[in-house]
Amino acid sequence: MTADDTTPGYAPVFDDATAISGDAMIEIEGVDKFFDDFQALKNINLRIGTQEVVVVIGPSGSGKSTLIRCINRLEEHDAGRIVVDGTELSNDIRNIQEIRRETGMVFQSFNLFPHLSVLDNITLAPRKVRRMPKAKADALGADLLEMVKIPEQAGKYPGQLSGGQQQRVAIARALAMNPKVMLFDEPTSALDPEMIGEVLDTMKELAQSGMTMIVVTHEMGFAREVADRVVFMADGQIVEVGTPEHFFESPREDRTKLFLSQIL
Amino acid sequence: MSGTATRWLHYNLFRTKRDAVLTVVFGALSIWLLYKTLNFVFVTGRWTIIEVNLRLLMIGRYPDAHVLRIAVTVVVLAAWGGLLAGFLRGRQVRAGRLTPADSKLTVARVLDLVERLWIPLAVVLLLLLLSATAGPWITAGASLAAALLGRLIGPFFGRLRLGGLASAVSVIVFAAIPLGMYYYVVTAVGFDDWGGFMLNLFLAVCSIILCYPLGVLLALGRRSGLPLIRVVCTTYIELIRGAPLFVLLLLANVALGFFVPDTLAPATSTRAIVVFTLFTAAYMAEIIRGGLQSIPRGQIEAAKAVGLSPIRQTGYIVLPQALRNVIPAQIGQLISLFKDTTLAGIAMGLFDLLQVSGAITAQPEFRGQGLIAETLTFAALMFWVVSYTMSRESQRLEKRLGVGSR
Repeated sequence: MTADDTTPGYAPVFDDATAISGDAMIEIEGVDKFFDDFQALKNINLRIGTQEVVVVIGPSGSGKSTLIRCINRLEEHDAGRIVVDGTELSNDIRNIQEIRRETGMVFQSFNLFPHLSVLDNITLAPRKVRRMPKAKADALGADLLEMVKIPEQAGKYPGQLSGGQQQRVAIARALAMNPKVMLFDEPTSALDPEMIGEVLDTMKELAQSGMTMIVVTHEMGFAREVADRVVFMADGQIVEVGTPEHFFESPREDRTKLFLSQIL
Repeated sequence: MSGTATRWLHYNLFRTKRDAVLTVVFGALSIWLLYKTLNFVFVTGRWTIIEVNLRLLMIGRYPDAHVLRIAVTVVVLAAWGGLLAGFLRGRQVRAGRLTPADSKLTVARVLDLVERLWIPLAVVLLLLLLSATAGPWITAGASLAAALLGRLIGPFFGRLRLGGLASAVSVIVFAAIPLGMYYYVVTAVGFDDWGGFMLNLFLAVCSIILCYPLGVLLALGRRSGLPLIRVVCTTYIELIRGAPLFVLLLLANVALGFFVPDTLAPATSTRAIVVFTLFTAAYMAEIIRGGLQSIPRGQIEAAKAVGLSPIRQTGYIVLPQALRNVIPAQIGQLISLFKDTTLAGIAMGLFDLLQVSGAITAQPEFRGQGLIAETLTFAALMFWVVSYTMSRESQRLEKRLGVGSR
């Protein structure tokens, strides 16, 4: 873990983003990503440990979403390596499928399947990808709905639920594949304020249960309370990494200070 | 009461001077049109020509010796449809989407069905009343009984838990029934001797069944990531859509001669089905492509993120939503196909309902009496009933599939 002690970039990083204690679940090394001429990610280096909760914050357009979307290949990175639980992402579709099975993702706009019932939304992937028998999948779905505290909504369709409930179904759907990592892409940004709490509570419980999580969010309270490390990104680069205490109390970089002064 | 009526009239029809003028003018026009229509239907119309030629209009010159085969086929298909409906109900009960009570065939449900389909049922009744023989009555009665019987025993099959092989075999047997009936009818009387409304229906049903999957494949192919497939599909769609259907039908008469010797050439009706299928598939492909484009990117991303393979992303997530989103346009295209089967009569010399309608006015007893208005009205009514039923059923389907969607 000490091999990557020099971290390139336009700004010095406070805490080495690649230094973790314990085993690495995700290793990101020198990742670049371009959208045509625009460089969305510039030489990203980050390691995430097993059972670690990392919150990624930064202004919009800073590449936070792109970064986690590269991890399960919703976006293809142009340079560098991404290794998830020992499997390196390559262009081999089987390889990509394997990594997607290991990573759950929760989207800003929920993206539930509107033509399937809540239960079917959750059980579709276990049944079709893991070939789980229907009865077993239904039991799993019921358990997960219990966990996100909406067991009574199993037979309804997504359009009949509130935003907060939909996002909790989306979390249950991602968990149904029994992933080793959960990626959250601004999970509360599309929610009405009164529903943000219920989704954050679910995420907190998940973090306490030992799930490895990467959370892109603007919820600073959540970052302060739940994160093991906070990553601050700007202009496609990681500017600063640190514990929540360090990050919110004594940020080192001017860019970080500016950002925090704008949002807090 | 009369106060409310006056108020309603004043508010809706005579609020301003201009409203009053429009009401009077269009009211008079409507009454005049209605009077003319009713007068034609009940007074001046000479409908004997329809009564006398009913069989010709319905099944063409199908020989007496084999007409029983048509009756048997109709009864078997009715039973098949009933069985399928019951089977699907049983499945839904098994899947827990319906309670057993919901799947029972009650009097109330039958009445619902009658209300839903009263227009086609009324027309069938009218045809039965016009018919001079007992055959159609017996066929209709037996079909009704067969459909009910099928519907009653269907749920039993739907609740059965069969192994993989057994269920595959039963699906194949079940799907083979209509095909078997087709051979039963077609071996007795070759395609080219079919006629009347039966021919129009048959051409339409075959073409619809064949063009749908082809349309889906073309639509998917046009969006494929593989350039070769994309180019082939796009070229096909654009070529076919650029040619008039009528020209393609005329071409099918002669063009096949370029490729196969006459002895091997398929029957004219088969050629018509091929043309209708290929033509409509191109249009369906564009409609379905519109549906595919209406699916937000997030749906595919979510399907990817849970680990579904590309084929499953399409099959379970994208296609079901895409096809549902464009039901009205799809049904519109299929209705159009159904009505266009009359072109096969004109272009290929098939003896379909439209051709029969013209030919019978030249019969010795009816010649020179200008009865084409009566026969064409009858033909139009037949096409309208089927088209309108398709349209209504599609609206119902749309509502049912739209449950709980955005």
